[in-house]
Amino acid sequence: MGILSGIARYLRLLGGLAVYTLNRELAFRGNFLVKVSVEVIWLAILIAFYRVVFARTSTVAGWDEPQYLFFVGCFFALNGLIEMLFLENCNEFAELVRTGDLDGLLLKPIDEQFLITCRRIDWGTAPNVLMGSAVMGIALANAGWQPDLLRIATFLVTFVCGTAIAYGFMLMLTSISVWMVRNQSLMEMWWLFSSLARYPKEIFSGPWAEPLGAFFTYCVPILVVVNVPANAMVRVLDGPMVALTIAATVLLLWASRRFFHYALRSYRSASS
Amino acid sequence: MSIIEVDGLTKTYQVAQKKEGVLGALRGLYRREYREVHAVERIHFRIEPGEMVAFLGPNGAGKTTTLKMLSGLIYPTAGQARVLGYVPWERADVFRRQFALVMGQKNQLWWDLPAADSFQLLREIYAIPPAEFKSTLDELTGLLGVEKLTRQAVRELSLGERMKMELIAALLHRPRLLLLDEPTIGLDVVAQGMIQKCLRDYHARRGVTTLLTSHYMRDVEALCDRVIVINHGHLVYDGPLSRIVERFSETKLIRLQFEAEAPDDLGRFGEVVRRDGPFAEVKVGRSQVAAVLAAVLDRHSVADVSVEEPPLEEVIARVFEEARASHDAA
Repeated sequence: MGILSGIARYLRLLGGLAVYTLNRELAFRGNFLVKVSVEVIWLAILIAFYRVVFARTSTVAGWDEPQYLFFVGCFFALNGLIEMLFLENCNEFAELVRTGDLDGLLLKPIDEQFLITCRRIDWGTAPNVLMGSAVMGIALANAGWQPDLLRIATFLVTFVCGTAIAYGFMLMLTSISVWMVRNQSLMEMWWLFSSLARYPKEIFSGPWAEPLGAFFTYCVPILVVVNVPANAMVRVLDGPMVALTIAATVLLLWASRRFFHYALRSYRSASS
Repeated sequence: MSIIEVDGLTKTYQVAQKKEGVLGALRGLYRREYREVHAVERIHFRIEPGEMVAFLGPNGAGKTTTLKMLSGLIYPTAGQARVLGYVPWERADVFRRQFALVMGQKNQLWWDLPAADSFQLLREIYAIPPAEFKSTLDELTGLLGVEKLTRQAVRELSLGERMKMELIAALLHRPRLLLLDEPTIGLDVVAQGMIQKCLRDYHARRGVTTLLTSHYMRDVEALCDRVIVINHGHLVYDGPLSRIVERFSETKLIRLQFEAEAPDDLGRFGEVVRRDGPFAEVKVGRSQVAAVLAAVLDRHSVADVSVEEPPLEEVIARVFEEARASHDAA
């Protein structure tokens, strides 16, 4: 099978899975509406909070209000995309291991990583991507931003890289479930991850915080996930940071895939 | 070329031993003890194209573990296996496209959606051409009599209906090898019969090689000519179903119907299993059947007589007992 036809097949499958999960979500409309409402309220609270902050100061860690609003929108869209595509699937992985229901997925003639991490689309978080995009659009309009093709291209590439980095970390945390069987720590770890990613890296200043910021930029590159695309679009187009983000993406996707397959070798398949 | 080749396949698990009480649980946090469980030990067998083979053994014998290794779900501790010419645990797509594993206690269909939606998704996953998909689906729904149920949510189907849908899902891509793990567990006699008939008919049409585990001997008698028996991870019998009865059963059952009340001296010929009015059943040694029949017919007026093999359940139970005794002795 050629690479292009392979990609086309997986895109078709992703489309099929998206339709089936939408049918499933809509079979439980009440649950769907509650999830969407919670996310709308959460974004409203977040924006209200930052408006209060910027009513008292003109910049936070060097970011002015439209720039910061763009950062918040970028985080919201990226986080929403990850939650929509991967979080529920990864969170269910431990349960699949515990019950042995993973068997059914491993038997299918398709990439295991794709099927396990993409089989369900969480449509309840899909509006977050739209809301985040809308907030970014509003922020750009407020800043009087002029279209710049290089910035747009860099933003898109690094936004995809940020999503892939987050996915890579999530896949590694998920893989541990094969040994732990119960892995409730995944959600806690994801909360920690998103808590770190949601702030500009400039807040890590001072003798204690700076090494921590460097650690989460160069060793465990969580801080680049939102900072680099947001910076590229509304602040500094930092070539080395963009290169670091792309390199980290390639490395992390490769390492997380290897680790996932290594973990699957230890799968014991719960007794029937 | 054999469809399945198994050479010295072995699977050993390390099972954590939990200590009793809170102190035991706390101790387990820093020092955990493990026990080795030998689920499968150095088994060898071959299965040829088109065979329907029963894989039998008591609970915990290693049947399901073997099926899981043959389908590539788990890695063996030692030994080799080739299934359809592939090493199963490498899980090549081309291998997985050619077999199906049906587990009676697990389902692969989407619980909240109609089975038809899951079938469509499987069509995409297995890249089944639309015309082939339609003809296979029509054939299978017809065989199982579930044409009108495919648009009903799976969770609203009865257990028997769900199992039929699982079987359809497993056969949609026309596998060359079918691994069945307790496919009729929990089903009523009618549903069991229907599943057996579907499997028999499908085998006759497509010649699919089948390896079946089941605790229901009706499944085995209805479907398989060959039996492999495993116990405590060891292979204890591999041969024709008919010969397992000869080898492991020393007796036959003589059913008699007398002209008058059944006589009370039948105990001299063998073990009297039943005596009720003119009817009697006597279990006698295989080599003594002719002599016993001659003696009974000589002494009494007999209206009807038949000689039968003991029920397969009884024979298999004897196989398991013998295997257990030799394992304990070892």
